[in-house]
Amino acid sequence: MAITFEHVGYTYQAGTPMATPALSDVSFTVPDHGYLAIIGHTGSGKSTLIQQINALLKPTTGKISVDDFTITPQTTNADLKPLRRHVGMVFQFPESQLFEETIQRDIAFGPQNFGVSEDEANQRALNMLETVGLDESFADRSPFELSGGQMRRVAIAGVLAMQPKILVLDEPTAGLDPQGRLEMMTLFNRLHQEQGLTIILVTHQMEDVAAYADEVAVMQAGKLLTCATPQEVFNDSDWVQSSDIAVPRAAKFAQRLSDRGVKWDQLPLTADQLADQLVQRWPGMGAHHE
Amino acid sequence: MENIIEVQHLSYRYQDTDERPALDDISFTVKAGEWLALVGHNGSGKSTLARAVDGLLPFSEGTVTVGGIKLTPDTVWQVREKIGMIFQNPDNQFVGATVEDDVAFGLENRQISRAEMVPRVKAALDEVGMQAFAQREPGALSGGQKQRVALAGIVAIAPDILILDEATSMLDPQGRRDMLALVQHLREEKHLTVISITHDIDEAASADRILVIDDGKLVEEAKPAEIFAQGERLVHLGLDVPFTAKLKQALQDRGITVPAGYQTTTEMEEWLWQSLSNT
Repeated sequence: MAITFEHVGYTYQAGTPMATPALSDVSFTVPDHGYLAIIGHTGSGKSTLIQQINALLKPTTGKISVDDFTITPQTTNADLKPLRRHVGMVFQFPESQLFEETIQRDIAFGPQNFGVSEDEANQRALNMLETVGLDESFADRSPFELSGGQMRRVAIAGVLAMQPKILVLDEPTAGLDPQGRLEMMTLFNRLHQEQGLTIILVTHQMEDVAAYADEVAVMQAGKLLTCATPQEVFNDSDWVQSSDIAVPRAAKFAQRLSDRGVKWDQLPLTADQLADQLVQRWPGMGAHHE
Repeated sequence: MENIIEVQHLSYRYQDTDERPALDDISFTVKAGEWLALVGHNGSGKSTLARAVDGLLPFSEGTVTVGGIKLTPDTVWQVREKIGMIFQNPDNQFVGATVEDDVAFGLENRQISRAEMVPRVKAALDEVGMQAFAQREPGALSGGQKQRVALAGIVAIAPDILILDEATSMLDPQGRRDMLALVQHLREEKHLTVISITHDIDEAASADRILVIDDGKLVEEAKPAEIFAQGERLVHLGLDVPFTAKLKQALQDRGITVPAGYQTTTEMEEWLWQSLSNT
């Protein structure tokens, strides 16, 4: 499912003396099966932006299209139910939303809410447990006996059980250990690759942006500064510096070498990309050897 | 330097029937003024260990001595006087309606007079750069600001030991760097001993020494550079692989001979530049 924002603005408590603008004139497109990362400092509007995608917040101005659905300031909630089924939202610390007595029932809750029969919802719950890397023995256990990382997997299984076409992830790996982070990001990438899910990822991890995203949107003070490939965004080092955004460690390191005169074909964003280019320049090894 | 913490043969089971102990015969010491990092994957027992040191766990075997006082049910309050703890989620540790009330809470518990309390709260908030927020509601602050307020609460009671239990894991990269710089500053100024439980490679690099906990056991004890030299294995220890180690692995995979051991980014940059210039 493709997503298009056209001149979207959002103001909290619009029309009151407390009105606070949070988004202004945001326009971008994510193609079907796209993978967009959204970066920006705390308070830059990232979370407000993603809540527009399933119309948890409706734009104050402008228009959003998600596949055939259109969201404008006038759209009513009744029109939105079919849309919400297709947009899976994983909020920060989703494990805090677990509530059922058993893990299976917690995962099955969402689909049942959207009209799926109990039997099918339960079957989906078992399948989703496997998808997130937990075996069937977890089904009858209480979600509250699990470790933090396991609870998060259950919460994500609950979102996946609704079979969304778009997965919106708000810092999904915050607070996990490195192993857990890697497993989680690999899972999302697999869903993207194998099932064609469109992914929107809000993150502070520039390594993840470099490794997974097709495009990266940079937010600052409610405005979209740019939306382009990670290569294009991180490549402009003057712009990166003046916009106060972080860059992947490999890019930062490559920049230090280019300050000493090493020339890159294009700025490496990962350790592997950097190593590929270093080999080409390595005395006695590379194609570039003079 | 004297040992401010001594842990001898500490074992703990959450339930008597548990087959595997949460802590299994752990012994180590911490010198006054040292920064010690405790690392290990989720569920390895590192938080349990920190709780045992703070007298929050009724451990079954072994001894914990803090500042010369052996931890027992009778001395637990004396021991806790010496330790300030900051947890992962700042929202779980606020009690006051305003920032200054919250910082004052620890002093109120110690029956400090109001005349003494007011300047101590102010000084503590100044120390962490949060004086301007004294009247604000803690819930409305950003994550980094919340952890600063939590630090102010600890500065106010002036403990000898600060334990950070994944205190930076919920912060954005800038918030994390600010928090670490602040802890480093307080440590020097107040001669604090710091124990930080962490998965963050930069935080672990700030430590003088790293203890690796796995399955409730102390499996390794070394300086950061020695631990970081383990490359890809670090992920199993609950740490990120440092960028230089990733790059070295990637170069090695491509047939380039790399120097052994851990290198800082500056050392790595120097070595690469020398190698590339060496035609």
